[in-house]
Amino acid sequence: MKWFFLSTDQSLAQEDIATAQTLTRSEERAGNGGSGFLIRDLNVYYRQLHVLKGLNLEIEPHKITVFMGPSGCGKSTLVRVLNRMNDHVDGFKHTGQVLLDGKNIYDSDVDPVLLKTKVGMVFQKPNPFPISIYENVAFGPRIHKTYKSKAALDNTVRQSLEKAALWEEVKDRLATNANSLSGGQQQRLCIARAIATLPDVILFDEPASALDPGSTAKVEELMVALKRNYTVVLVTHNMQQAARVANKVVFLYKGEVVEVGEPPGMFENPKSELTEKYISGHLV
Amino acid sequence: MSQSGVANDGTSFNSLDAVTTQTVQVPWYEQKVSPSYRRRQVWNWVLKILVFAAVVIVLVPLLDMLYLFAYKGLSVISIATLTETTTGGTGLGGGGILNAITGTLLLLALSSAIAVPLGIFSGVYMAEFAGEHNRYASVVRFVSDVLAGVPSIVLGYVGYLLFVLYAGWGYSALAGAVTLSILMLPYILRTTELAIRRVPDSIREGAIALGSTKTSMINRLTLKFALPGILTGVMLAVSISLSETAPLLYTADFSNYVPTALLHQPVGYLTGIVWTFSQMPTTSAHNLAYIAAFVLLSLVFLVNFLARVVLKRFSKI
Repeated sequence: MKWFFLSTDQSLAQEDIATAQTLTRSEERAGNGGSGFLIRDLNVYYRQLHVLKGLNLEIEPHKITVFMGPSGCGKSTLVRVLNRMNDHVDGFKHTGQVLLDGKNIYDSDVDPVLLKTKVGMVFQKPNPFPISIYENVAFGPRIHKTYKSKAALDNTVRQSLEKAALWEEVKDRLATNANSLSGGQQQRLCIARAIATLPDVILFDEPASALDPGSTAKVEELMVALKRNYTVVLVTHNMQQAARVANKVVFLYKGEVVEVGEPPGMFENPKSELTEKYISGHLV
Repeated sequence: MSQSGVANDGTSFNSLDAVTTQTVQVPWYEQKVSPSYRRRQVWNWVLKILVFAAVVIVLVPLLDMLYLFAYKGLSVISIATLTETTTGGTGLGGGGILNAITGTLLLLALSSAIAVPLGIFSGVYMAEFAGEHNRYASVVRFVSDVLAGVPSIVLGYVGYLLFVLYAGWGYSALAGAVTLSILMLPYILRTTELAIRRVPDSIREGAIALGSTKTSMINRLTLKFALPGILTGVMLAVSISLSETAPLLYTADFSNYVPTALLHQPVGYLTGIVWTFSQMPTTSAHNLAYIAAFVLLSLVFLVNFLARVVLKRFSKI
């Protein structure tokens, strides 16, 4: 790949300029308060199945909002509603509003493809594309043509990898296939890939459930670091994880919001009996 | 488990002791093997031999055939037989097979030009755009499976009625090629569909979540992923188009001349030489049949080889 053969001096100079530019851009964005969701009276159905029942929620910018609850409580459905990943699911129906910066994302004039550039997503199982590490991160910028030159693309790739705390580990082998990375590295690559499309919100759907404790800790650190520039939504059934990273915890049970609170208070003195049962491991 | 207790007859026992006293005299590696294990061992060997024998039974005739045609073909092949056209009509069978080589290549190019893009596009449609339960797609799938099973001579007759007579193309390269492409289509379509379906959904989800449209996802990821499978289908179809005789007898007839037109002009082909000249009484005709068979085998080999080279290159990405 040509990228490797750029002389260091030249690439450094270009990087500095581009870094300065992107930094100001992300600072501007960080200053304007970021993007938040307001969910109003949301009902979701899969055919006859009533999955989410009359949800009202606020997801604030620059905070980590955690959806927590037992399997089948609707937390994954809810997070997939936020970037319209459910649109193609057979029998998906919804009522109510999901407002992103005041605009209902289910309005007919919203393009679901463009919405996904604003609301990125990281999945439960790492799903790197079977192409090179570089091309994985460059995938978003390439399809959206958000770069002007090869150097700018190189820079976006580098910054995204740096933000995902992966750069040091992969900088010498950007041309190798992404499948050669370990599971934890793959997940951070997926985070870098999401960052590279310049979203405002990043959704994490149980991002650490397939990872070992060390990689989990890294991903958690990363999420905490990311909330400075992004709005972060995390789905997990792991209470310790929720307690470690959350600014706001939404406890869901059977499609309804049982309790919204802030850790550690919510874990120490839950208001609802259901929450207490779940925290103590007695809720099936 | 070490467990002490009282047995039914009242004597106390220690189960661990009981086990150790029994086995201590005969170490585990000298214990007698159970008869059932012996039986399984024997079966294991029998099956191994059967599997190996099957491979030999398949391979020996294949190698014998390859040897026969390579030996017979190479012993009579010459520049003249490859660069001259057939002479003497149906009586003698002299000259060369240039007319058949060019005819086969022309038919191959034409039929591939029709069947490969059509097959790949419809395979992409079936796998990516039509849902699993789409009515139209399941009809197409069924029809294409049936089509793959239709005897080629029946298709040849259909081609004769449809293209030679009804469309008025006469015995011609185009009539032959279109008939061949109908034969090739189901193989390409189904292998493309299956290859694309094998691409994991997590990859699709990942691309969609990055704001990729379906088309750019297919272009950049799924097709690349499915390429080996698609190429296998194309290779199979190309081999079929090279080796079919029956449909061409109906639609292309045969010709002793190098083709110069697509319509209203019969065209020669290698399998036609093998078919007609192997039944003739003269040695020169037999020789031509051997040469044609050898060239055909070489072409099939070449197609496979090229496909492998392409595969290797693309799988490096």
